[in-house]
Amino acid sequence: MATTKLNQEELRESLKRCPESAIEAALEFNETRNPDLLPAIVLGIIERFVEPDVRPVIREGKDQTRLLEDLGIDSLLMVEIVILVEETLSIQIENEELRNLRTLGDIKGYLDAKIKGLPVPTNKNIFNFEQVVATMPHQAPFLFLQEARINGTEADGSYHISGEEVFLEGHFKGNPVFPASLMLEALGQLAVLFMLKTDSDAFGGRIKPESIYFVSCDGVRCHKMCKPQDTMQMKVALKKVHAPLAQFEGTILCQGARVAKAEEISLTFELESSNEAGVEQ
Amino acid sequence: MRNVVVTGLGLVTCLGHDKEAVGKRLKELKHGCVAYQPFEADEKIPIHVAAPVPGFDTASTDPEDWTFPDDIHFRLEQLKGLSPNALYAHFALKRAIGDAGLEKGDLSNERTGLYTASSGSAAMTHFHLDRMKRFGPLRCSPLGIVASIAGTLNFNLAAAYKIRGSTCGFVSACASSGHALGFAHDEIALNRQDRMVVVGAEDFTLDTIVPFAGMRVLSVNPDPDTASRPFDKNRDGFVGTGGAVALILEEESIALRRGAPILGRFAGWGQATDGYHVAASHPDGEGLANAIRLALGQAGWDKETVDYINAHATSTLAGDISECRALKSVFGSSGGPAISSTKALTGHALSLSSIMEASFCLLAMQQGFTPGSAHITSLDPEAQGLNILRESLDSAPKRLLSNSSGFGGVNVVLAIEQP
Repeated sequence: MATTKLNQEELRESLKRCPESAIEAALEFNETRNPDLLPAIVLGIIERFVEPDVRPVIREGKDQTRLLEDLGIDSLLMVEIVILVEETLSIQIENEELRNLRTLGDIKGYLDAKIKGLPVPTNKNIFNFEQVVATMPHQAPFLFLQEARINGTEADGSYHISGEEVFLEGHFKGNPVFPASLMLEALGQLAVLFMLKTDSDAFGGRIKPESIYFVSCDGVRCHKMCKPQDTMQMKVALKKVHAPLAQFEGTILCQGARVAKAEEISLTFELESSNEAGVEQ
Repeated sequence: MRNVVVTGLGLVTCLGHDKEAVGKRLKELKHGCVAYQPFEADEKIPIHVAAPVPGFDTASTDPEDWTFPDDIHFRLEQLKGLSPNALYAHFALKRAIGDAGLEKGDLSNERTGLYTASSGSAAMTHFHLDRMKRFGPLRCSPLGIVASIAGTLNFNLAAAYKIRGSTCGFVSACASSGHALGFAHDEIALNRQDRMVVVGAEDFTLDTIVPFAGMRVLSVNPDPDTASRPFDKNRDGFVGTGGAVALILEEESIALRRGAPILGRFAGWGQATDGYHVAASHPDGEGLANAIRLALGQAGWDKETVDYINAHATSTLAGDISECRALKSVFGSSGGPAISSTKALTGHALSLSSIMEASFCLLAMQQGFTPGSAHITSLDPEAQGLNILRESLDSAPKRLLSNSSGFGGVNVVLAIEQP
């Protein structure tokens, strides 16, 4: 559904504080609907909403740049951006579609499809913070996973260390370091999300969220420390399932550097009974 | 009942933001009113004088246009959730926290709460609703609601300071921040909390002030030196102002244990309602007189021991007369405590006024003076017999009351004494 089209003057007023190049591109797009102009417009709008210190990251325009971790764009700021994008491009973005946008590349691909009238790429295996919170038995202050994506037998996810975590006051005094034990916890939590949300039938049915517990962890190596403002990039891969145990390997990267590795994280689980799982009798 | 003391005070007012400087202006009776240019720009607006907040310009509905002191940095998503009064509130609270010597952990724990008073932001409400009607709800800022409605101070300050104790916003018109202070007192006195942050704040925008012209209660006097003159028989209404005041209340032994500065003891409070009219006070001030008696009762004071009363007196005919009658009914028709209305200097700050005037009382106690009632050239006959101070005194009151009254006939009276 197209929204009200703004005239040139209204468009310029809406886009004040955006880079001039974005405003010019938007004015031209308003006339031509040329999708080649989209990156300049959208990156300019995003740049206007982020803190000055991350603007250079946007100007690089890398598709893999992440909205939350790299640019500090939370869900409400994302709505501000969406409103201005909608207004500028005279399009309507649905809430469901928003959830799939995690990177600059996602946004560019999405808008390109939208403008060209092509099907919008969807990915049901991406979980934003709200979905992670709704899924996990773990909750604040002991939830160390903010976003996740399931891909086949693997899952990746991230946690941004804000520095406000209460345990950092004592770990260590005057020198906050994210504890290695909690890095393993974070990997374990990503494995839990995988177990609860994977589409595969690797576990033989739906797992009861409250039944998953840690059993063991082998082959752990920590290579670097993580500190406030670092974002832990986590990955787990399912190695094998031997009910009631599931085994994963996991790694954590931070700014591209390997931080920690666990060769085998074992979790125990129970399946929902067919009644509880809502299977028709 | 546990003792409650005030240990921190922060101001963003038309008289300034610095305790010493504001105290000096109160003592010297130097007002903050000016001929306000935006009123002159619209010939339909019949008023001329207002008391703006120096150092802040929040006239725009776009927070990114605002100018304010640079000692607080707001992230963009934080700024976009602010109303003008929440902006003032941030600055006032930062000053109060510094004044009380509190650390982050002192504020973020289950025994520290936050009570606020605000009428919301008419300007932001108008802007966002207008946008919603023109472009539809999906084009509205997601933070438009929290930047508009009356709870905006709670939302913003509780999130910014990670408040974990009791939190509530009070909306009782011009008695709002009196209610916030009173109930905050009770939270500590009844051992529900150890420390309460109380903040009152009001926008300074045309949308907040000008609607009162429709009630014919704003002064149309173009002279800033005489537009606000409570207790003068030629008064013609109030002058609008805005700003914020934050006070930190603590249980006395906790405050003493951490070596906090004690600005004053909050001895008690009273509230009573006229049940008379939606907008006017009872002609004889019955509700206010009852609130005064209740405050004296909770404080355990004989009325003869009260040195000073900071009157609500807004400089409107009906309100001032009603208050004079209430005061006479409690304290008699001659003598009695010294009385002044500092609104002669500041104008009327609506839901902020009660805590602002309580803070002025604390400043007076701290700096050793009693503020006078400025701009009286011809005392209203209703005030004859009352001890209306025309000049400031060089001595501080030991025990004082601070009165507030609001729409619906609500009345709140605070009892404060030297520590």
